[in-house]
Amino acid sequence: MDHFPGNWGNPRSRDDTYLESNDYLPGSIAQDHPRIRAEKTMSGFSCDEYISNPSHMPRAHTQQPVVTGTSVIGIRFKGGVMLAADNLASYGSLARFRDVERLLKVGDYTVVGASGDISDLQYIQHMLVNLETKEKYLDDGHSLGPKNVFEYMSRVMYGRRTKVNPLWNSLVIAGVKNNESFLGFVDLQGTSYQSSTIATGFGGHLAIPILRKAVDQIGEENMTEEQAKKIIEDCMRVLYYRDARSLNKFQRATITASGVTITDPYSLETDWSFAEKIRGYGA
Amino acid sequence: METTATLRFLDAPASIAAFKHAASEDDIEATASACVDMAPREFAHPTFDIPAINNPVEFLKHQTSVDAKNRIKIQHGTTTLAFKFNHGVIVAVDSRATGGSYIASQTVKKVIEINPYLLGTMAGGAADCSYWERELGRRCRIYELNNKERISVAAASKLLANMVYAYKGMGLSMGTMVTGWDKTGPQLYYVDSDGQRLKADLFSVGSGSTYAYGVLDAGYKPDLTPAEAIDLARRSIFYATYRDAYSGGFVSIYHVKEDGWEFISRTDVNDLYYQYAAEPKPSLAA
Amino acid sequence: MGGNIEHRFSPYTDNGGTTLAIAGEDFCVVAGDTRQSEGYLINARYSPKVYHLKNNAVLATGGMHADGVALVKRIGQNLDWYVHKHEKQMSAPALAQMLSTILYSKRFFPYYVWNTLGGLDENGKGCVFSYDPVGNFEKQHWSCSGSAGHLIQPFLDNQIGHKHQSNVEHHLLPLDQVLKIVKDAFNGATERDIYTGDFVEIFIITKDGVTVQKHDLKKD
Repeated sequence: MDHFPGNWGNPRSRDDTYLESNDYLPGSIAQDHPRIRAEKTMSGFSCDEYISNPSHMPRAHTQQPVVTGTSVIGIRFKGGVMLAADNLASYGSLARFRDVERLLKVGDYTVVGASGDISDLQYIQHMLVNLETKEKYLDDGHSLGPKNVFEYMSRVMYGRRTKVNPLWNSLVIAGVKNNESFLGFVDLQGTSYQSSTIATGFGGHLAIPILRKAVDQIGEENMTEEQAKKIIEDCMRVLYYRDARSLNKFQRATITASGVTITDPYSLETDWSFAEKIRGYGA
Repeated sequence: METTATLRFLDAPASIAAFKHAASEDDIEATASACVDMAPREFAHPTFDIPAINNPVEFLKHQTSVDAKNRIKIQHGTTTLAFKFNHGVIVAVDSRATGGSYIASQTVKKVIEINPYLLGTMAGGAADCSYWERELGRRCRIYELNNKERISVAAASKLLANMVYAYKGMGLSMGTMVTGWDKTGPQLYYVDSDGQRLKADLFSVGSGSTYAYGVLDAGYKPDLTPAEAIDLARRSIFYATYRDAYSGGFVSIYHVKEDGWEFISRTDVNDLYYQYAAEPKPSLAA
Repeated sequence: MGGNIEHRFSPYTDNGGTTLAIAGEDFCVVAGDTRQSEGYLINARYSPKVYHLKNNAVLATGGMHADGVALVKRIGQNLDWYVHKHEKQMSAPALAQMLSTILYSKRFFPYYVWNTLGGLDENGKGCVFSYDPVGNFEKQHWSCSGSAGHLIQPFLDNQIGHKHQSNVEHHLLPLDQVLKIVKDAFNGATERDIYTGDFVEIFIITKDGVTVQKHDLKKD
């Protein structure tokens, strides 16, 4: 141990003889450490990953998305919320599936939109269907609202990140219950927030400026459903122009006090003449 | 009801005793699980969440290293010293905490008052030192309750060394001096997070320790008067803060005597600078 | 996930934001901005990170938002258990030690959070505690942390602690003056730190309870 505390317990070079990185290969000291073994017997909560695995080897998780969906965008308007997501599931640069629905209706008041790994999306759908069923069977007069779904998904996503086994998605949760609109976001690290405009992935760069400009100019409380539809479609068009993993076939969900409607997949008119005028980069 | 619950360990004192004397790792493990059955949670070993990944050690190492994207900067403490002399033990420390190059605090208490007869010092990870020395204080108190006498400094320092040794290689960072006065007189031990435990008359720990040793070794002898010893300790820390960027703030001094420790002083290094500058210095040779 | 660029999972992210706390004679002020960021994106303009706890202490969390939320939930649960067990609210200094222990319990998988805790002690005096992510803490009179912590701290040292001012009478500032300093601090930080802005929420703790003020900050 040298005299500089900044180096203690935090070896950065191979010169540190007391901690060689080879010492910590799986199955080596880390797992066989007496304290970790002791804790297994004491606190099932802290190390359940070790317990659930009979070989006492930590489970290897898939830590990258495979088949993916791109942006989900959402905006709040007077009396409602609107979401949109296209129907493409990409496999790297391959446009693999062109008919995937990424907007899920949950209960009577909520829509969950998901970007990121499609298999994780389907697992989330499975979870939410189960949740809905259990809630129905209880028959206690309570029904899931968007806030409930948001809180539930926040805990699920954060719980999985804490197990370092994330669900590789960014979720947008939208709904209206008791005349209260809701629009929230949760991602694979458990980060969550609510806002009057939300966009995941590329949408965060391309759609958010358009959405926020609209809300700032018109105001959430003055924006009609028709206006919201136009803004959302403008965003989807821009995303289709510039996001190479997008598709001009998408669905749009509208949630108001009168319920949830999710459109059939449809396309927008595009005009690529602007592309002729692009000079310099990327042309 | 509540009383019986919290004092349940009295029915099975062996669980606490065996726990305390655990010498080998296997003993620790055996008694740790015994404690779950016998003693209430308050008396059990502390437990820690471990990330469920192949390599928790490498994980933490990465998150605290300079190249991590979201670096967890753990506050580090820096110059400390302690020495035995004919009138007990003098302990002196600076008060600066740094997180990277940022001075997180200039007013850290780096002398940890474990109990009225025991002091610990803080160098390395500030949280590691204060957590484990607090845990040490708790265990020393349990020792007193079981044995109707105070723990020796040798035993206390060994408790600390054994506790952190169980986590060796997992990233703890602690360089501490444990000192006090017991049946055998004034005692001074050095304990660090590698599990090293040394006994000597004089130690200095931290990034400023080399500078402190320079001053300390030049002036140290066992028959210093208390006033001389305190002045030497203060100068040693001061000159360490003068040359070491990671040390600074205030110099705090404690004196360990037969009837326990006594707080001596806390002085701004800026005041010391002007005080020492005003002292006559021998002129350079022509 | 637009680009599909990120392939190795990191459980940590930094959502930015700045918090501070100042103790007065019979009050305590805790404040934080409400912007939540991720890299160059602003996630939300109003995502509070200062929490009024049930024992009338106020906890400001900076760093990773999700860890902050989880930590505050855990503290809230512990505060409830304490009330059931002892039939009284936990004091702010007791909470301060408990928070340290909670943070240290995740020493090997830390909460990526910088905490600042404010409240009143058993004698009704204002108290502030600041923490590092693994539970090292210190009782202070004023403290600030987060993305603009290093910008505001010397300002507070000067204005609250009268540091580097000679021949100044040392006294604890009254509430109205503290509030002015807090607003100046956040307006200043908003000018120079991209992760600070939108709104500042100021919690004022007195023996009568906790009140909140919300003020605009620049949104650029």
